[in-house]
Amino acid sequence: MSILINKNTKILVQGITGNIGATQTKYMLKEGAKVVAGVTPGKGGQKVESVPVFDTVEEAVSRFKVDVSVLFVPARVAKDSVIEAINAGIKVVALITEHTPVHDVMEMKAYALQKKAILIGPTTPGIITPGECKIGILPANMFCPGPVGIISRSGTLAYEVAANLCAIGIGQSTVVGMGADRVAGTNLTDILKLFNEDKETKVVVIVGEIGGTQEEDAAEYIRVEMSKPIVAYIAGASVPPGKRMGHAGAIIEGGKGSAKSKIESLLAAGTKVADRLYEIPSLAKGLIS
Amino acid sequence: MRLHEYEAKEIFSKYGITIQQGGLAKTPKEAQNIAINLGKPVIIKSQVLVGGRGKVGGIRIVEDLNEVEIVADEVLKTEIKGYKPEGVLVLEKVEIKKEIYLGITIDRTSGIPTIMICSEGGVEIEKVAHSYPEKIFKFPVINPLQNIYAYQLVSAVKKIGLTGKALIETVNIIVKLYKVFKEYDGLIAEINPLVITEDERILCVDAVLQVDDSALFRHPELDKRKLDAMSERDKRLMRKGTTFVKLKGNIGLICSGAGLAMSTMDMIKDYSLLSPANFLETGGGITSDLMVDCMELVLEQPGIKAIFLNLYGGINPIHEGAKGVAKVIRERKLNIPIVAKALGNRQEETWKTLEEVGVHIIKESETQKAVELLAKLLGVKK
Repeated sequence: MSILINKNTKILVQGITGNIGATQTKYMLKEGAKVVAGVTPGKGGQKVESVPVFDTVEEAVSRFKVDVSVLFVPARVAKDSVIEAINAGIKVVALITEHTPVHDVMEMKAYALQKKAILIGPTTPGIITPGECKIGILPANMFCPGPVGIISRSGTLAYEVAANLCAIGIGQSTVVGMGADRVAGTNLTDILKLFNEDKETKVVVIVGEIGGTQEEDAAEYIRVEMSKPIVAYIAGASVPPGKRMGHAGAIIEGGKGSAKSKIESLLAAGTKVADRLYEIPSLAKGLIS
Repeated sequence: MRLHEYEAKEIFSKYGITIQQGGLAKTPKEAQNIAINLGKPVIIKSQVLVGGRGKVGGIRIVEDLNEVEIVADEVLKTEIKGYKPEGVLVLEKVEIKKEIYLGITIDRTSGIPTIMICSEGGVEIEKVAHSYPEKIFKFPVINPLQNIYAYQLVSAVKKIGLTGKALIETVNIIVKLYKVFKEYDGLIAEINPLVITEDERILCVDAVLQVDDSALFRHPELDKRKLDAMSERDKRLMRKGTTFVKLKGNIGLICSGAGLAMSTMDMIKDYSLLSPANFLETGGGITSDLMVDCMELVLEQPGIKAIFLNLYGGINPIHEGAKGVAKVIRERKLNIPIVAKALGNRQEETWKTLEEVGVHIIKESETQKAVELLAKLLGVKK
C-alpha cells in the first residue's frame, strides 16, 4: 500500500515533448513508472522514449486507461491543461509547472473540488512511492521504500529529509510534494487524511515552512483525528519578517504564519517538532515501533 | 509587483471608482498648475513604494496655493527610506466625515479571494486588526469561478453600520474593486481609506494594487514598466525564476529551492559569527550561464567570507550549473572557501567539475555536515 500512486498506476504526461517533459519522462520510465501516453497539442503521432504522443487528453484516454496525469506545460497554459485533464475524467493531477498565476490556481482548485479530483501543486516536485512509481521531478536516488510518509511544502527539502532517513535505514511509503505557491491545489490536511488511512504508513513527517496557515490547520486535524505519530519541521525560523523568500508562499504577514505560531500549534497537537532539519531522522526512528 | 498610488488610482478610476480631483506632477511647476486649476487647498503626496510615508514628510497639506510650488519641491527632493519619489500627487483636500477600510486579498489556505471591510479605516488599520480583530469583517468570495453580485454584499456592508446611499455606493465600489482584483491578477487591492466626505461624497483617498508577477504576461504594459526598471542581469535572473534577497551577512548562499535555502540559513545562523549575506533560490532553470550570474551577484556583496552551495538535481541539471560555478572561480581566481553539497541526477559529474577548481564537496545528504565543514574552514565554533 501507499497513497496516490503505486506500481500499477498508469501515467499520462502533458507537455511530454518539451525539454523538461521529455527528460523527466525518461527518468520516470527508468524508475519503472508506467507512462502510457503523452500529450502535446500539435505533436500528435510522435513518440517520446517510445511513449505515444496525442494532441488531446481526450484522445489519450480513449486509447489508454489513465490514473494520473503529470504536467510539464508552460505556466500560461497550465489552467487550460489542468481543466482538460479533469474533464477527461483523470482524478489525480500533478502540476509541476512553476510561476502559474495565482488567479488561475484558484480557478483550478475550485474546479478540481467541484469534480472531485485531486490537484497536487503547482510548483510540486511530484509524488514518489519508492521502488514502485514516481511522477514528477524527484531524483529517485534520494528515496527508499519503508514506513514513513512525507508531506513537504518544499521540493528540495523533501529530497533531503528522505535521503537522511534512508541513511539510517528508514524508508518511505510515499512522499508528496505539496508545491509552495501562495495557493496549493491540495492542502497539508488533505494529504494527512490519506496517510492516516494507509496501512503501510506508520509515521508521517511534515516538512513545512513559514507563511500561510496550512500547518496550523493541519495541527487541528492532527489533534482531533490523526491516529499516527507525526514529526514536523518548519523551515525559515531565522528569516527576518517581511522579507520575500522566493516562493510566493514564504512571506510572514504580521504574526500569522510565523515559525513560532506553527511550532506552537503543532506541539499543542502532540506532534514531535524538529528544530533543525537534521533532527528529523532520530525523532522519526523513535516513533517507529 | 506593487503599483504606485497614482497608477492604482488611475486603474480604479477607469473601473468607475471615484477618486479625488487632481493629478500627478513630476516638477514643482506642474504641481502649482494642478493646484491652481483645482482652486482650493491641496494635499501633496510623495509617490514612493514604501509604507509610512506620512510619518516622514511624504504627505503634506497646503492651504495657501502660493506655497504649493515650494512644498512640492521639498517633497519631490525628499527620499523616503532610501527611495526617490517618482512624482507627487496633488489632490483636492477633502473634509472627512468617516473613513472606511476596504481590502481584497487571497486566503491562501482555502484558495479563495476574501473581501475585508472595517468601519475604522485609515493609517491605524493594522493596530485595529491587531487589537480589535472583531471589527474587521471578512467575506470569502464563495466561488472564484464566478463573479460576485452586489446583492451578495448588502448584508455584509450593513454590518459596519452603513445605511442608505452610503450603503449602496460602498457595495458598488466593492463590486468594482473585485473586478479590478480579478482582471489585474491582484494579490491585494485596497482602498484605505474610503472616505465619506462632509458633503456626502464617497471617495477612494488612498489605493494599493499589487499584481501577481507570474501573471505579468497578461499585462504587457505593466511588464514593460517592470522590465524597464531592471538591469540586464536582473532580467535574466527573473526569466529563470531566480529570487535574490540581500541580508547583510558574511556567507554567500546559492540554493536550488526556497525551503532548502531557508533551512540552510537556519543552520548557518546557529553559529554566532556566521550569517547569510543573502537568500538566493535558483528556481528550476539552472544552466551554466545562470550560475555565472548567481555567483557574480553573490560576490558583489561586501564582506563575503565564503560561499555555500546547496543544490539538488531533480529538475535542475546541476552538472551544467557546476560548469558556471567553476568558470567564475577560475576567471576570478577566487580564494575564499567554497563549500558545496550537490546531490541528485548526474551528481558524480557535478562533483568532479567542482573538485577540479578546489570546491569543498560534501557527498552526503545532510546539509548540517556541509555547514559544519564551512564553520571548520572559517575557524568558527557554535
